[in-house]
Amino acid sequence: MRTFDYTAAASIDEALAALKEYGDEAEFIAGGTSLILLMQQGLVQPAKVIGLGNIKELRGIKRTADGGLEVGAMTTHRQLETSPEAFAYAAALPQSLGVIATIRIRNQATLGGNLVHADPAQDPPPVLIALDATVDVVKAGGGARAIPMEAFFTDFFETVLGDNELVRSVKIPPMPSGSRLAYKKFLPRTADDYATVSVAVRLGVDADGRCKDIRIGLGALAVTPLRAKAVESALLGQKLTEQSIKDAAALVRDVVDPLDDVRGSAGYKREMARVWTERTIASLAGVKAKA
Amino acid sequence: MHFRPVSVHQISFELNGKTVERSVGPEVLMADLLRDDIGLTGTKIGCSIGVCGACSILVDGTLMSGCLLPAIMVDGRSVTTIEGIAPSEDELSPLQDAFIRKGGFQCGICTSGQIIAATALLAQNAKPTREEIKEWMMGNLCRCTGYYKIIDSIEAAAGIERANV
Amino acid sequence: MKFEQTIDLPGVSPERVWAFVMDVPSMAKCIPGSEGVEDLGNNRYKAVVKIKVGPIGLALASEISIVAKDEANRTASLLVEAADKRVGGAVKATMSMTLTPAGDGSKLEVSTDANVMGRIGDFGQPIIRKKADQTLQEVGENLRKALATTTSRP
Repeated sequence: MRTFDYTAAASIDEALAALKEYGDEAEFIAGGTSLILLMQQGLVQPAKVIGLGNIKELRGIKRTADGGLEVGAMTTHRQLETSPEAFAYAAALPQSLGVIATIRIRNQATLGGNLVHADPAQDPPPVLIALDATVDVVKAGGGARAIPMEAFFTDFFETVLGDNELVRSVKIPPMPSGSRLAYKKFLPRTADDYATVSVAVRLGVDADGRCKDIRIGLGALAVTPLRAKAVESALLGQKLTEQSIKDAAALVRDVVDPLDDVRGSAGYKREMARVWTERTIASLAGVKAKA
Repeated sequence: MHFRPVSVHQISFELNGKTVERSVGPEVLMADLLRDDIGLTGTKIGCSIGVCGACSILVDGTLMSGCLLPAIMVDGRSVTTIEGIAPSEDELSPLQDAFIRKGGFQCGICTSGQIIAATALLAQNAKPTREEIKEWMMGNLCRCTGYYKIIDSIEAAAGIERANV
Repeated sequence: MKFEQTIDLPGVSPERVWAFVMDVPSMAKCIPGSEGVEDLGNNRYKAVVKIKVGPIGLALASEISIVAKDEANRTASLLVEAADKRVGGAVKATMSMTLTPAGDGSKLEVSTDANVMGRIGDFGQPIIRKKADQTLQEVGENLRKALATTTSRP
């Protein structure tokens, strides 16, 4: 790996100033798992690397006054996986972090780094889409904007982040009353531990068995993580039965645009998207899936 | 940019109980520092992409991949490698002893990583179930043993008696 | 890696399309990220094509040669050899083009056979394929735009 110039930024402003100074030649390092791999392969060769590990404002997990959850960008996956605050928010959230890679990766990799790396097969994005999370982004001088998770990703490894911005935290709104979260990671091959397809669902059912809240995030099914609005619309307000869930899940086939790769053919993934969307919704609805 | 300035960093960390000071470039990874500079070759490099676990080390008790961790990130922290696991020159740790008794290794290349990972597990969960052991240890690959005896070794070290399957 | 593309150009005659496409410097401007096209003579051209996939930026120093040209039937074959020395990878592609009249305009069919080698190739063939597909789509769009603007009259 080529050597470079490294500084550990003491503050967000310092980090952004260094980024501005070096432009294309600079990269941030969060946990380092993705960046070090890219640098080892020679695919990225920054002259300047700016460490974010000393910036206190990027750390911490807390319940917000309205009952939501805010997770600092430099929170490691393991910290979120073992966080009592996250567990109290929704047990399936820390559990969904626990299926990422290995414990060593989870001890080093961060949520912010994960989002900015923007590999469409990663686990946190579909979960955060289902939870209606927003990404809190700051730029030099203190301006901030909140980007809905489903709008954050634009392509493979690309996000809407401008070149003078960084991710400060992820904000998750309070869980709607009665809603629950489930995340299913379909992994028929363990060659690289990324999902073949993954589905995250937040579901709330009223006393009559009608769907009153539904959000679906999909991973590994396109060049970015997706939200399955068509499936949501088909079920919102409807009674949740084996058939209604099966029919709605089938709509996911037109939402996804999977790639042929070692994890499966596009056709296989499209079909698995249907199967796992159905199973995940059914599991939360307390209904048996037909698929 | 044609001129590429490079930085040099003074780091100081505790390694197996002793203070180590070094001057390193930021591109130096822990696995290389340990093996090539400090001469502790117990930590192995299997895949160099953080997957196999042969390079497992503990940083402040936390299990990490030595092959993905820049040495500058351990400044001010404490690092434990396989060379620091035995309580003294004359004794082995319960895990090291169990791996011998229960046949938890064959070629040995993954063993340092297995023991480091298992040490971190037992520090956190003194009586793990077999499922919990498998969950925790899933990132430490072995080409020889088929894993059962590794799990048996960890259970034995934890003082869990099982009937042999 | 093989790609097949059909670019519909309604309202533009085959003569105009052919003239444009065979003018490599004009055609090169339709490729997103291309800079500095140089005519080396003998149907050979040099250009740099910059592509970005997330944090990975490639500067592909390319040599484009027209290896076959049939004016009467409006078919041509191009060879593109490109390399990024910094990242360590290369692309070698043959592009065969067939231009035919279609309704009041033209249809350009492009068949590309590309080999991606070295570090870029190792990166992830499916991503490269998707990216190349996206780029070729953009080229088609840019070609349409370039030809449309010159036909529109006040």
